[in-house]
Amino acid sequence: MKTFMTDVLVIGGGLAGLRMAIAARQRGHETVVLSLVPAKRSHSVAAQGGMQASLANVTKGIGDSEDVHFEDTVRGSDWGADQVVARMFVNTAPKAVRELAAWGMPWSRVRGGDHEVVINEQRVTLTERAEAHGLIAQRDFGGTKKWRTCYAADGTGHAMLYTTTNQAIRHGIEVHERAEAVALIHDGERCYGAVVRNLVTGELIAYLAKATAIATGGAGRLYHVTTNAVICDGSGHAIALETGVARLGNMEPVQFHPTGIFPAGILVTEGCRGDGGLLRDVNGDRFMPNYEPEKKELASRDVVSRRMEEHIRSGKGVHSRFGTHLWLDITLLGRRHIEHNLREVKEICQYFLGIDPAEKWIPVRPAQHYTMGGIRTDHTGQSPWLKGLFAAGEAACWDLHGFNRLGGNSVAETVVAGMIVGEFIADFCDKPENDAPFPLTLAREFVQREEAKLAAILDGNGHENPFQLCTEMQHIMTRHVGIFRNGDELLDGIAHLQRLLERSAKIGVSGKSRAANPELVATYRVRRMLKLALIIAQGAYLRTESRGAHFREDYPRRNDREWLKRTLAFWPDEAASMPSFEYEPLDVMKMELPPGWRGYGAKDYIDHPDTPCRQQEVDATRSRMEGQGRFAVQEALMPYTDKLPASLTGRNERLDEPLETSR
Amino acid sequence: MSVIDQAAPQQYRHLRLNVLRYDPRHPAAKPHMQEYQIEEADSMTLFIALTEIREHQDSTLQFDFVCRAGICGSCAMMVNGRPRLACRTLTRDLPDEITLAPLPFFELIADLSVRTGKWMRGMSERLQTWLHAQEREVDICRIEERMDPDLAEQIYELDRCIECGCCIAACGTAQMRQDFVGAVGFAKIARFRLDPRDTRTDDDYYELIGDDTGVFGCMSLLACHDVCPKSLPLQTQIAFLRRKMAAQGL
Amino acid sequence: MANETLIIHAGLADKSRKNRWPARFDLLQSSTGLFLALFMWAHMGFVASILLGESAMWTITKLFEGYFFFGKSYPWLVSCVVGFVALVFVGHALLAVRKFPINYRQWRAIRAHAKVMRHEDSTLWIWQVYTGFLLFFLASAHLYQMFFWPQNIGPFASSDRMWSDGLWPFYLVMLLAVELHGGIGLYRLTVKWGWPNASRQTLKKVKWALTGFFLVLGLATLAAYMKIGYEHRAHAGERYTPDWAVEQAAHRGDGQ
Repeated sequence: MKTFMTDVLVIGGGLAGLRMAIAARQRGHETVVLSLVPAKRSHSVAAQGGMQASLANVTKGIGDSEDVHFEDTVRGSDWGADQVVARMFVNTAPKAVRELAAWGMPWSRVRGGDHEVVINEQRVTLTERAEAHGLIAQRDFGGTKKWRTCYAADGTGHAMLYTTTNQAIRHGIEVHERAEAVALIHDGERCYGAVVRNLVTGELIAYLAKATAIATGGAGRLYHVTTNAVICDGSGHAIALETGVARLGNMEPVQFHPTGIFPAGILVTEGCRGDGGLLRDVNGDRFMPNYEPEKKELASRDVVSRRMEEHIRSGKGVHSRFGTHLWLDITLLGRRHIEHNLREVKEICQYFLGIDPAEKWIPVRPAQHYTMGGIRTDHTGQSPWLKGLFAAGEAACWDLHGFNRLGGNSVAETVVAGMIVGEFIADFCDKPENDAPFPLTLAREFVQREEAKLAAILDGNGHENPFQLCTEMQHIMTRHVGIFRNGDELLDGIAHLQRLLERSAKIGVSGKSRAANPELVATYRVRRMLKLALIIAQGAYLRTESRGAHFREDYPRRNDREWLKRTLAFWPDEAASMPSFEYEPLDVMKMELPPGWRGYGAKDYIDHPDTPCRQQEVDATRSRMEGQGRFAVQEALMPYTDKLPASLTGRNERLDEPLETSR
Repeated sequence: MSVIDQAAPQQYRHLRLNVLRYDPRHPAAKPHMQEYQIEEADSMTLFIALTEIREHQDSTLQFDFVCRAGICGSCAMMVNGRPRLACRTLTRDLPDEITLAPLPFFELIADLSVRTGKWMRGMSERLQTWLHAQEREVDICRIEERMDPDLAEQIYELDRCIECGCCIAACGTAQMRQDFVGAVGFAKIARFRLDPRDTRTDDDYYELIGDDTGVFGCMSLLACHDVCPKSLPLQTQIAFLRRKMAAQGL
Repeated sequence: MANETLIIHAGLADKSRKNRWPARFDLLQSSTGLFLALFMWAHMGFVASILLGESAMWTITKLFEGYFFFGKSYPWLVSCVVGFVALVFVGHALLAVRKFPINYRQWRAIRAHAKVMRHEDSTLWIWQVYTGFLLFFLASAHLYQMFFWPQNIGPFASSDRMWSDGLWPFYLVMLLAVELHGGIGLYRLTVKWGWPNASRQTLKKVKWALTGFFLVLGLATLAAYMKIGYEHRAHAGERYTPDWAVEQAAHRGDGQ
């Protein structure tokens, strides 16, 4: 058995993984990153529009602060988010943006003086402050009160990933690419690393580490039409699940992005609408103002996607040979704007649709985009059930996003969680009590077990085809567990999925190579994906309410009384055909922002019994402390700074909020 | 719910894909071309075509796709003799017969799959493609340093490189000399040289690219410029670097 | 100096300040190429004077031999020019050969590359290698001849060389090689160092136009020399002196 030992093992070479690795490395811990693909090809690269951080540099961002960002995030989450985590996040986001700037990130900058923008179909002249000239610019995104999304044209994820990877290279952090973690090595209480398969040679290697961190991104490939890369199959979620002890949180809310190009599902950024683009129907009419008079195209993604599907159902979709779609119109932004600020969008339209978006409308339809759920962690990023296992980014349920993530909060989460969790990982490794000796015998057992599983696949003589099963699963998920859900459809879908899971035990592969063998890989991956699919479907079936991206036609109201709680799924018995569920209640009495109306979407919901009481407390505190400054009020309502690593507790400077020079 | 267009059924072409097959781990099988036949579909890309072949005809065929949207740079391969991003190459822009081969120069994994990432990492280490800011401790709580918006856009323009390897595969010099840094390396140096946050001088850059494995090795065949999927201004940037580095010799 | 040698010998050359010679070599390669290409065009202009008549060509020849300055021909003046050009030529060849494929593997790789890519600029470079390789011999021979027998330049002497000495195939090949090599080389210089506000397409058009012009001029010139050589074959070896010069000389002779 080949063994590799390190202090910190990071699984996933995207933004979250690399940022954690850098944090751990800077604190002196040997860190190795595993990645399915070269780090710079990770799916983080595909984030286009930007990253939210309340810098308040642009005119339309004046007055923005951590408080506004916090409220937008919690409302966006439909009160599913962990508010302490949201506070930690909003306070760190500006630091992350500025750190990236210091690392060379080419953020787009504010140009002082007048410039023309399109807001609500009107050309409007905005005047940027002279003193803001040259500072990092922000654009408008859905579900936000202020212009808060920092960007580098529309290649923000690319620029962030390259900046961060280059820093990782600078720190000499090794990335073992084309390596897949196929199982976590653990004893039911403590995680010791992972069994890793070299995707080129097929060799299994035991990687042993004091701390293991999963940052493998989302599971978009469970769906037929997704903006996600082909590697986003939830493998990190799955290996955590297969420990039988670690829990996955809130897997049922799945975000559909309103503007996937039709039919390929490739993303065009929310920046299109943020910059003034409109959604139009078969008649060329703008329809969003009829549904959402206040935020229109810029309501949160769950709402816009639902309204689009609703509009299609009312017969206003555009029919084509592939099915039905709507239009995204950015022609009104003008060629110059498109060629400078929406370059990737232009390229995508040119190469995949053969159209010039400065002249023609873009065919779009909502496509799976983001996995809100993930490996449930505490605020330090550690799994409460498996010591030494950490997670960050899309793979984690840290719980920043609750039931719907705001645009621009995902890349922000990757680096922010990377910074925070990375520090906690370093703390964990610093503690002598965590110096548990590496259990080589246990590692050998795990490697042998995985070896046996692979051998069983290669030696089996089943007749099922893994690619076929995967396609069937994707169609079931799209049809039964999509944007609109109901009990009957879900039950039907679950039954289908269970049959697929049974069939997946009878897969036969034609190529018998142990090394690079696409069919072998597809086989073990589809089995795991089916488990995740079942968790999503069953979680959605059990949750008899509508919240954020989880929408039940048979239970259209948000029900705080029964469902203000986080779904936790786990799979204790490997042979079982169904996951186990438990629920973690959210404590309204500790919330800084008690549940209410989001400001868009449906207005009726069932209150939690504690809500009025907590609201009164909050209101009382606010009026009692009027004039004492926002920080003091916040501290009184929901203290959180003690939860942050000490290096990240500082306040953030803004043009209108200078820091005392004594610092 | 979806309504299929009533338009007359379209006649689809029959495509023949000739793929160069070779697995260095099984050297007994010599490199050879293998033909696959497939019916074209609307807006079919090489990603769709190859995936279909793997799922229905030959599950051993190896290739790399990640984002399938032309942004991650994984899928560069030789399409009818030219390096291109396969995922955003529409079959309708190609003739009935399509020849696919792996990118030359890079270590071959098998079939169409090559290790561009490993080489790019080596290039990054060698050229130190990260921002060098000496003696500057940035307080990330404070307002960021200002930068001219036009300059920021220019830097972004050069930062758009996706390290796909097309420029190296197209480079005559690189075919002959394995240690050549190539256009991708020059684009990186040009990017950091432009960035005022980077404190390195031309003297420092000369240490990195001031020889025949660097900018003086470039013979200006400029295929890099012609095949770059991101249309980076490689021609002018390499010429610019050559002038700056040559000035170091005066 | 000894220290540096020791450092290099210890394999630590990379660790000390990088040598500046690669930069100079690169500049020298380009500048020698530029000189040679411009010289070659000028040279073509001089030899093409035959198209204006034998006397025109004779005048130019004598001009270079200093006849009109000193009243007497000094062919070694031509040798001096040839010697200088030969030095530049050898320098250019030495610098340029560094870029040539140096073994079979490299040669095979670049050839296959050009074939597969069908990329004009890359193919042109292969042609530069071919023609450069040819010129290495042809131009060397030519320079050698001109250096040692500079007096053998003239309307009849040159024509006899073409026809009676049977060297016209040599000159035909050299003409093609030198025009292609120089034309491509000059174009390459503009893209290598940058040419403000001109697209590559434009530069390449200009390049082909110039190459075409000089090739036509060169072929016409070669034909002219061959024609004279053919007509003069009976008197091969005899030197040309224009009538007016004969008269002048005779006149001077009378005066003495």
